[in-house]
Amino acid sequence: MSTGEPPVVRLGHDLVRNFESLPREKAAEELATHIKKFWEPRMRHELLARIRRGDTDLHPLLVRAAEDLVDGDIDREEVREPSGG
Amino acid sequence: MTTSEKSGPIAPAETDYGTPRVAAADTARVTVDGREVEVPAGTSVLRAAAEAGIEIPKLCATDSLTAFGSCRLCLVEVEGAKGTPASCTTPCSDGMVVSTRTEQVQDLRRNVMELYLSDHPTDCDGCARGSCEMQKWARETGVAQVRYGLDGANHLHERTDESNPYFDYDPAACIVCSRCVRACSETQGTFALTVEGRGFDSRVSAGGTDFLHSECVSCGACVQACPTDALTERSVVQLGMPTRSVVTTCAYCGVGCSFKAEVQGSGADTRVVRMTPWKDGGANEGHSCVKGRFAYGYAGHEDRRLEPMVRASTDEEWRVVSWEEAIATVAEGFRRIQAEHGVGAVGGISSSRCTNEEVYVVQKMVRAAFGNNNVDTCARVCHSPTGYGLNHAFGTSAGTQDFRSVEQADVILLIGANPTDAHPVFGSRMKKRLRAGARIIVADPRRTDLVRSPHVEATHHLPVRPGTNVAFVNAMAHVIVSEGLLDEEFVRTRTEGADGYLEFIARPEHSPEATEDETGIPAGELRAAARLYAAGPNSAIYYGLGVTEHSQGSTMVMGMANLAMLTGNLGREGVGVNPLRGQNNVQGSCDMGSFPHELPGYRHVSRPEVRQVFESRWGVSIQPEPGLRIPNMFDAAIGGTFRGLYVQGEDIAQSDPNTQHVEAALRSMEMVVVQDLFLNETARFAHVFLPGTSFLEKDGTFTNAERRINRVRPVMPSRVGKDEWQVVCEVATAMGYPMSYASPAEIMDEIAATTPTFAGVSFARLDAEGSMQWPVTEAAPHGTPTMHVGKFVRGLGQLTPTVYVPTTERATRRFPLVLTTGRILSQYNVGAQTRRTPNSTWHPEDVLEIHPSDAELRGIRTGDVVELSSRVGATRLTALVSERMPAGVVYTTFHHPVTGANVVTTENSDWATNCPEYKVTAVQVTVATQASRARAGEAPEASATPVPAGAMARQRR
Repeated sequence: MSTGEPPVVRLGHDLVRNFESLPREKAAEELATHIKKFWEPRMRHELLARIRRGDTDLHPLLVRAAEDLVDGDIDREEVREPSGG
Repeated sequence: MTTSEKSGPIAPAETDYGTPRVAAADTARVTVDGREVEVPAGTSVLRAAAEAGIEIPKLCATDSLTAFGSCRLCLVEVEGAKGTPASCTTPCSDGMVVSTRTEQVQDLRRNVMELYLSDHPTDCDGCARGSCEMQKWARETGVAQVRYGLDGANHLHERTDESNPYFDYDPAACIVCSRCVRACSETQGTFALTVEGRGFDSRVSAGGTDFLHSECVSCGACVQACPTDALTERSVVQLGMPTRSVVTTCAYCGVGCSFKAEVQGSGADTRVVRMTPWKDGGANEGHSCVKGRFAYGYAGHEDRRLEPMVRASTDEEWRVVSWEEAIATVAEGFRRIQAEHGVGAVGGISSSRCTNEEVYVVQKMVRAAFGNNNVDTCARVCHSPTGYGLNHAFGTSAGTQDFRSVEQADVILLIGANPTDAHPVFGSRMKKRLRAGARIIVADPRRTDLVRSPHVEATHHLPVRPGTNVAFVNAMAHVIVSEGLLDEEFVRTRTEGADGYLEFIARPEHSPEATEDETGIPAGELRAAARLYAAGPNSAIYYGLGVTEHSQGSTMVMGMANLAMLTGNLGREGVGVNPLRGQNNVQGSCDMGSFPHELPGYRHVSRPEVRQVFESRWGVSIQPEPGLRIPNMFDAAIGGTFRGLYVQGEDIAQSDPNTQHVEAALRSMEMVVVQDLFLNETARFAHVFLPGTSFLEKDGTFTNAERRINRVRPVMPSRVGKDEWQVVCEVATAMGYPMSYASPAEIMDEIAATTPTFAGVSFARLDAEGSMQWPVTEAAPHGTPTMHVGKFVRGLGQLTPTVYVPTTERATRRFPLVLTTGRILSQYNVGAQTRRTPNSTWHPEDVLEIHPSDAELRGIRTGDVVELSSRVGATRLTALVSERMPAGVVYTTFHHPVTGANVVTTENSDWATNCPEYKVTAVQVTVATQASRARAGEAPEASATPVPAGAMARQRR
């Protein structure tokens, strides 16, 4: 059902649902890696801006993953293999 | 001069060897009319003679069908044997000496031909078919006159059946050789034709009715098999026989059939007379469907726009302009937007209906001229999860087998695919294998034809509830692991991640009993299916959009890969994980770097060594960050940061989900460029229209679902004065990035030089080999039919715990039904091509299939106009009450813009790839009220008379 969430929040929460069964740190790492690999910079910037503004609707795991995004470059090992899709 | 001002090479003549090729290790050496020939043991004398260059007269035999031995024309004498056996049913034995033209044999043939001719029209000059075998053999056998006369009992006055829009059946010319009946059964597997009556009364019949109203699927196999002009293409009747032909590739589904385009005239006056499937086509081996064989007329349809057009705003009328003005308008528009809103404010979408070369230049234009990675392709909305999931598991974004592999499969697990409608030629191949003894498990909410149809019955039909695929595949794996049915050696030596995965999947929550309520699949049935799949010994998975177009599409692809790895069903013929791709060049458009995060060959843009390959060749810097995907582009457009879009050969306003959202995005843009054959739905929002070329005008390659790179050869010159790749190059050049090629062959040379899996591909090699399946490398110079033999591309296969996450799109009290969408045999995708052909005879509108109990509850009858509503929109369709549907699920197609099925589909998408969740939309269905009909300007009684159920059912085909 539609949540009416802004697109980056909806897409981020889709990722949360698929990674949240992992241990928290692993889930945050996977989530951040996925966003680095597939999200265009303005989407990442919008997510970070929402976090900085204190958007309370964001899932804590998404907020935790965003900390890794601030670190910048993607891990080369993560893009060594083709990712498709 | 455009490259397509010249047309492709003339197709070589095809030899009919009379009976099928025999695959046998042993051989037999025979002498035919003094010529020695060695053939595989079991080969017929008829075929052996043909291979020795000796043609024996025949009427009931053709090399696509099993020998029948009825026409008595192919009689021969065999040294040391009694009588004159039929050479089509006589197998060769070592040392056999055969004579095909003795006096006795010639006398017998002459007598047989006289009998045939005594009940056959004599107006050979008026016969449409220039290849009638009756004429040929009458001359060959020396029949000068028919001693019996023509006044006896005959069938010469029987009425021609002209009901089918594409071919006529003239019973007067029929010799009841049964080739059409056998083609329908053996090749197509539909069993629509039969021979009714006995003796003189024997007649070919389409099940007691005419062809149009029969079970016939109009594949044309019968027409091709007919040795007389009894079954003849309407186009041949109207235009006469073709004078030359060009071998090319079909522009419809991902099977990628090879065709001989048979034409009259040359240059701009070229006229297609018919398309006949190419016997040496690797994908189709001489078979076709109603779309590929007959539905090519759209290329010459009056709706086609042949001139560039521009308009300052979408409120204005289109203005025809020169190519120069159109291209300058595009370039200036995009550059102005970038100057005002940034480099990332524009992007492009490439098309799976265009050639590899055309797609390659679009992504190059975006990366080199636009200076960003905002390029995506329509695979985003169909098979992007295939790329993600198979790459993750195996290291390659493609299916593991060739189509021929199915002939070695013992068990077929078909998930979320309906190949008899959507991939008909492969569907026929699959049915042939099933008739030979393989078993099939169908996992699909609907009772499709492969669940039960003539001579096909699924061992298990698993009616998986839409949205629960991952729970289903996990339950399959759970049975295999918990019952010890796995291939431990394969798991130990070929995979990684096994410990974590096996612990995960063995948990009781994944058992069929635990998941039964969620998936709707009875636990006992699922357990039996899992045991059958594990038992194989060769088990193959085939799947379609019923897998990918879900919120967990990518997870499901990984789940199927897990299943294949657990049971060791990879790396040889007869097994594998095989996507059935929707459009003809989905595979190719993905291979060519159309994704916003990957350069050609699926290499991430963040890798400097990969960027360097292209930067040094293109002379530009490539952005190291991923670009926007199609749905991201729409969101950014509505957000105001994305203002310009180049759309190559796609109709996003009709095909993409949540139409209102897509239209709002398109309205927000300042420059929408549509390059297409027609002014499609997207063109309503466009500022520039660039006319495109049909497949008949293209020069390039398509890559089909089995990674087969096929040549697309121009049958006629471009009708718009330019090739599509040239237009793209000129836009890039006008934007300040000079881009040009002498020919599409040169584009392929650049692809081969930059993309390792295409290293050995060139037009010259493809012309020499016929086709090749990538990877084509130094290690595999002729291509790779089967992937992952002995080792996965990524080394070890990756077993991944596939956690089931239910979709957020759930049925509710307000929207209690689930809508799932799909395709029908006669129409294709958004219908832009097939709606402009007589294929609409079978499917003039999209209909909504609904289970009888759901229909009864709502007072809906077949033929009623119903309102279909979801949380995002509503539309109206005609209802078809159907027991093919499970209760609680309704189904429709999206071939007609007037229906707008995507008005109701939502923004939900696959978590990994954003492939839309087309297969799950919570909806309500109600009988359309008189008020709503009145709003639409219809008379209230317009739908008062229900359409007969039979007529509606036929529309499904």
